[in-house]
Amino acid sequence: MSYTELTVWTRGIIMDKEGRDIVNSISASARIEGKYAQAMENYVDNPDRTNAPTRKYCRVSDSILENELTYENEHPNIVVLVEGTMVKGWDYMRGMPAGGTLVINTHYTPDYMIRFVPGAERLAQLVCVDAAHLADHKWLYYRLGELGLDRLSTEGAAERNKSIAPDIAAPLIAAVVKSTGIVKMETIEPMISNKRAFHAALEALHIMPLNPVAV
Amino acid sequence: MSTKGTRIPDWLTVPFAGITPAPSQEKGQDLFPTGNWRSIRPVYRDKLPPCNNACGTNEKIQGYLDLVKRGKYLDAYALIKEDMPFPSVTGRVCYHPCEQACNRGQYDEAISIRAVERFLGDLGQALAHDVVKAGKPNGKKVAVVGSGPAGHSAAYQLARLGYKVTILEKSPKAGGLNRGGIPDWVLPADVLDREIERLVELGITIKTNVEVGKDVSWDDLKNNYDACVLAVGLTEPNSVRAEGENKDGVLYGLPFLRDIGMGTSKVKLGARVVVIGGGNTAIDCAREALRQGAAEVTMITVEANPKEMPAVPEDLHDMLEEGVELFHGRAVTAVLGNGKVEALQLHPARFSGAINASPITVDREAPAERFACDNVIIAVGQHPSLAWLPQEFKNERGTIKIDRFGRLGGTNFFAAGDIVQLGSGQPLMVVNAVGDGKRVAFNLDKVLRGEPLQPRTIPIDVIVDLNRMNMTYFPHFPRVQQTLLPPTSRRKTQDEVILSLSEEQAVEEASRCFSCGTCNACDNCYLVCPEPCIARPARSNGLYKILVDYCKGCRVCIEECPTGCLEGVPELDFDTGVVRMDTAFAISPGLHGRQAVELKNLGDRPAKNI
Repeated sequence: MSYTELTVWTRGIIMDKEGRDIVNSISASARIEGKYAQAMENYVDNPDRTNAPTRKYCRVSDSILENELTYENEHPNIVVLVEGTMVKGWDYMRGMPAGGTLVINTHYTPDYMIRFVPGAERLAQLVCVDAAHLADHKWLYYRLGELGLDRLSTEGAAERNKSIAPDIAAPLIAAVVKSTGIVKMETIEPMISNKRAFHAALEALHIMPLNPVAV
Repeated sequence: MSTKGTRIPDWLTVPFAGITPAPSQEKGQDLFPTGNWRSIRPVYRDKLPPCNNACGTNEKIQGYLDLVKRGKYLDAYALIKEDMPFPSVTGRVCYHPCEQACNRGQYDEAISIRAVERFLGDLGQALAHDVVKAGKPNGKKVAVVGSGPAGHSAAYQLARLGYKVTILEKSPKAGGLNRGGIPDWVLPADVLDREIERLVELGITIKTNVEVGKDVSWDDLKNNYDACVLAVGLTEPNSVRAEGENKDGVLYGLPFLRDIGMGTSKVKLGARVVVIGGGNTAIDCAREALRQGAAEVTMITVEANPKEMPAVPEDLHDMLEEGVELFHGRAVTAVLGNGKVEALQLHPARFSGAINASPITVDREAPAERFACDNVIIAVGQHPSLAWLPQEFKNERGTIKIDRFGRLGGTNFFAAGDIVQLGSGQPLMVVNAVGDGKRVAFNLDKVLRGEPLQPRTIPIDVIVDLNRMNMTYFPHFPRVQQTLLPPTSRRKTQDEVILSLSEEQAVEEASRCFSCGTCNACDNCYLVCPEPCIARPARSNGLYKILVDYCKGCRVCIEECPTGCLEGVPELDFDTGVVRMDTAFAISPGLHGRQAVELKNLGDRPAKNI
């Protein structure tokens, strides 16, 4: 019986949709594959504030989800940090069982990033992918300094919401799927709008193997 | 929402949406350590202002202007004295490369830095005791040959380091080029005398009428002193290599000024005087000639127009105001006359290269012109007189061969000033010689203490781009102009031409400083921070601190910093500043986990307890 929890940590408003795309597309793919799956946001975090930490959750199971009313992932097997600086900010490793995966959007290597990870001994792998660069994201990649000034992010949101993962979410989804196999690549690939970044990430991601769990 | 009268379950006593207390600096920031919202951290990083970088001796110009602005004149004077022994002299004579580099020059008008320096120098002259004291004696003796700007500066710095310094000067009065090359109406003799007195007060021995090579030999210097600084300057005037240059009435620029400065001049000028040369010394000679009784002074230059002349535009302007005529594009090919100069033979000429030091091409095919005159002053540069120096220490330019630390080979001899800067591409000016003397003094100190010499660190972050500062904070303000004596009254007297600033004017001028790239404690960041995230025990550079646990990285302080000293640095470049939180609100671990447990157990509880 397999049961996997995925928690995405993202930043309010400026990267809200990117986080939502990850959990939505993965749970939708899991359902297509005939699994039980669930995706939701954590509104306790009050995501409508620029830069505020926000979580998105996804659960994938072979059997019916017994904890579908619990609004937090207590034992995430996979954690995704949509913005690299978040690695310093939270106890995102809380509750992670041994053999977990951490995916970070950063241009640094896993060797550099591991110093910031609390409880890294629980990780089976640390994955770094320069999603902002692969998706050619002008704010995150070229003008990181102005990130906090972006107050107009909801402009054009209706258009952007029509497509799934047009932006930095695509390389991150690729990193999650390639490193963990939570869903099949061929199920999720047709959903992604930014296919170029998705495929580029499959080649460009850095996986640091750590402590594998004996099955 | 008030929490008064509400019973809060113990698992909800930590701050939570709706029942959270208002954030205040005392308590709220502890409850909401929002530092992890930040991807960019503001960092105070002072950069080098362009004035400081351009100054030959790297005076901390921004620093003393800031102190003058706050009325701390004595502190400002003490700061200037770290790098400059005689601000009263350079405040009058310096060609102010700082003002050319001043960022304010791109905005409205450059700061009148030299005038403020002179204000401080005059303040220092009026003090009964100087703020600078000699260092603790270390028992070592150093000779400084020459008491010009470089020698003065080296002796001053060495005395501060505790050396027993002896200055050897060949003239009857100390001062070197400051006395012999700069006329009284630019630098009054009593100002210089007071600065020389200051050297004596530091315990420096000045021996005048001692010429190296004649009264003192190389071996004497080597045997009698632990180390020696050679700051002999360029003493011999260049000739123009014209026929009949040895006739009576032909004078040379620097000796002409030197004899007047030393009070030993016997020159009587005729009515019509010609000055050959287009540099700063030539300008001084032309203006001095008017004061020595010449009726008409003409300056003949090879340069084709005034803009090409290697002279300071202000001085050129003042000279023209006093009535000196310019005659461009000519070279003297012969001095005509029967025993005494009566006229000059001129031919069209130009420089063969792009710079003024390149060889001159004279068009001898063109018809010669005759220019009648009674005296000629030739001011086309100087060269050194180094017959006493061992041949191994001379270079192909005829100056002293030094390494990059100013040292002669592996000896304890050092050289500074014009004698090493001639032909090195650096303009020869007082402030460059002072800077050279200062650096050589520090290098000498290191050698005698057996420490390794380090090359000068090249400033990497000079702030020269106005876009890096917030210009909205700087209103346009005109430069405070120094008053000049009117041309008609000044051209016949030795009175100082440029008058000094009053205290109010100096403060007004210092207040115009942008403080480029350097925190001047304007308190702007402290005021604009939307959260109380900037702490400072007092308003002073270096005391401002970002509370990284709370700073959200909104960049408002960085954008609003007028001077550009605040920088945004990616947070991941720091190992520090880690604030681990569960969510934006909860700071104790497991809060929501515990909530989930409560929810899970709901079904097990009796209905009345829910």
